[in-house]
Amino acid sequence: MSTAGVRRGLVLGSPRELGTVGLVAGLCGAYAGVLVTASSLLTAMATQTDGQTSAGLMLAVVSTVFILIAVYVSAVVIVNAVDTVVAGRLRQIALLRLLGARPATLRGSVMRSAGAVGALGAVAGAVLGVLATDVFRIVLVHRGTLPGVTYPVTSSFLLAPVATISFMALAAGWVGSRSVLRVTAAQALTGAEGAAPAPDRSTSVVRAAFAIVLMAGGALVLVAAAWLGERGSLAGFLAAFVGAATSGTGLLIGARFVVPRLVALAGRLLGSDPPSRVARRNAVADPLRTTRSTMGLVIGVTLVTTIASGMRALQVSVDSWTGLTAEQRAETHTVLSTMTSILVAIVVISCVISAVGFVSTMSLTVIQRRREIGLLRALGFTGAQVRSMVTKESAALAGTAVAFGLALGLGYGSVGAQSLVGFQTDGFVWGLPWAVLGTVAVVGLLLVLVAAAPPARRAVAIAPVQALHVDR
Amino acid sequence: MTPSQPHPVLSFRDVHRVYGEGSGAVRALDGVTVDVEPSRFTAVMGPSGSGKSTFMNLAAGLDDPTSGEVWLAGQPLHAMDEDRRTRLRRDHVGFVFQAFNLVPTLTARENVVLPFELAGRRLTADDRARIDGLLESLGLLARAGHRPAALSGGQQQRVAIARALAIGPHVVIADEPTGNLDTRSSREVLSLMRTAADEYRQTILMVTHDPVAASYADRIIVIADGRIVGDHPGLAPAAIADLMVSLEVGAA
Ligand SMILES: Nc1ncnc2c1ncn2[C@@H]1O[C@H](COP(=O)(O)OP(=O)(O)OP(=O)(O)O)[C@@H](O)[C@H]1O
Ligand SMILES: [Mg+2]
Repeated sequence: MSTAGVRRGLVLGSPRELGTVGLVAGLCGAYAGVLVTASSLLTAMATQTDGQTSAGLMLAVVSTVFILIAVYVSAVVIVNAVDTVVAGRLRQIALLRLLGARPATLRGSVMRSAGAVGALGAVAGAVLGVLATDVFRIVLVHRGTLPGVTYPVTSSFLLAPVATISFMALAAGWVGSRSVLRVTAAQALTGAEGAAPAPDRSTSVVRAAFAIVLMAGGALVLVAAAWLGERGSLAGFLAAFVGAATSGTGLLIGARFVVPRLVALAGRLLGSDPPSRVARRNAVADPLRTTRSTMGLVIGVTLVTTIASGMRALQVSVDSWTGLTAEQRAETHTVLSTMTSILVAIVVISCVISAVGFVSTMSLTVIQRRREIGLLRALGFTGAQVRSMVTKESAALAGTAVAFGLALGLGYGSVGAQSLVGFQTDGFVWGLPWAVLGTVAVVGLLLVLVAAAPPARRAVAIAPVQALHVDR
Repeated sequence: MTPSQPHPVLSFRDVHRVYGEGSGAVRALDGVTVDVEPSRFTAVMGPSGSGKSTFMNLAAGLDDPTSGEVWLAGQPLHAMDEDRRTRLRRDHVGFVFQAFNLVPTLTARENVVLPFELAGRRLTADDRARIDGLLESLGLLARAGHRPAALSGGQQQRVAIARALAIGPHVVIADEPTGNLDTRSSREVLSLMRTAADEYRQTILMVTHDPVAASYADRIIVIADGRIVGDHPGLAPAAIADLMVSLEVGAA
């Protein structure tokens, strides 16, 4: 009976707040739609023209891995989006608690909303992805680029990622709404808001220890991989893969200890005037939120940089080989750069998803700070100072994520290449793909500005009197 | 400007403030004309919803009058753009609001120091001593390193008072600064404001419902239905209480 009063969407309602969940699930669904349809058409082509059947399985495995990566990044982004929304509604939730709503009921309503919107987004995205790929295919067949065999519209395998994404949104809604449980009815009565709940110390210690073991172990395996590569052992690449996966997992688990510190460090570079100080404090006000809002970007940038850097290191190694004709050299160049483009195009989705998440979190957190910004205006922050505060917060977060991702990617990529062809060159070769590094840096800067501009504009428009009204 | 009389630090000239339009319009202020002389402690009283907070917000340049003129420190607030008003506020006004006074990400002490930083002023040894003195007399020294979320409502309000007084602004605008305080801390706050007016020559404008608090002031302005209905020199608590009762009887 108490559920009747707490309808779905009561806690987590406005389209702007739910938009991120739908959009991210949609992007992920579209990505799955494109990958699955593309691999089903490649399989059809391979079986009907060459009579090959093994290609299908290979493609399925590869696209599953890529889709899972995208699903993981989407999950991080959705957890964060839900958490941000809940954090902005603490008072409302507390009031509902005061009126007798059970915390589990409220949390359930958040979770169902996220799941429903996520499923809708996943289906819509998948349909769009399939349609786009099929239209593209029809054009290519018409032009004679692809052979005119019979192609399936898509593969029934697509149901799996769509179901996975919907379930992921539901689960992310559950994880992201954990703070609902910590809201007490008394909080509706006190003026204090946004008090970050203290994390559970004992689980933090276990988590930190686990993360350190994985990171240190992974790093050791990576060093071993580089050494094996130098010796020309075939086990090198396998070791590099294991090392990267282990240390990467360690980083994901331990990110909440590392990332807020890095952001705080980056924040120090901003300056010490009041706008910078408030920006810095806001960027790390809730370490978990800081971590989640940047982690997607870190993963995306790391993936892109790893591929670009690894390919670049291979290129450098190939260039140093003697006994290649100019023609062969040109050919390997073409092959390597085509592979780089294709792979980067495939993994760049993680960057897109996390950028979408970042922009929407920035915008939501500024909306939630209306009163604080009104107060700052009343105390004498000029419009320019408010704008600089929002931009600096965005810069501290996105800048740290991009820099961290670049550093990780350069390490992983170069070690990967070293483990394959280290014996061909003297010592360790850093793959420094300047063009890609430059692009990532420029896109990162654009992201900072794009994420900051609309909320900054809205923040400047906030009149000081708005700080004085309790309920606005 | 007549040389014999002090130039008022704050003037209202036939100020109206109307919220909304048409039949639903609320006349929060309805033709207010008043002058406030420097280094005086003025109490603003009146029933709930009579327009006191609206009056204070206009005086501080936080809100625009629908019509009329508001002059602060010789400058026409009603004719200034938001950026110039912001600067004027920063340089001349200290506030204590009815609720939500502190920047949540800054500690109590950082909140108190914020106006200095915004004015681009380096803290001198004198400033530090004054800030410590304020925090001490408001019983906040031990809590100075805490964020607002870890302070009680009354403590938050006292931090806001310390902030409003610390930089020594010409005008301190306080909307029910003692609303959340017990008798002792409220007396502490009131004598701090009295000292600010007497020794530091600051102009204090304070909204209160409490006759004892109003008795610390040397002028009492009474607002009802958006108009000034009474303007008295300093009174004793009992006389003020009578005044408020007569107002309620008159309204009934
Ligand atoms: N933003 C607003 N929109 C519409 N009406 C408003 C707004 N702010 C205030 N009012 C109305 O203007 C009138 C005066 O409000 P004000 O806040 O100045 O009262 P007050 O004297 O400070 O009351 P209290 O003692 O309860 O704080 C009230 O009738 C109020 O409802
Ligand atoms: Mg009021």
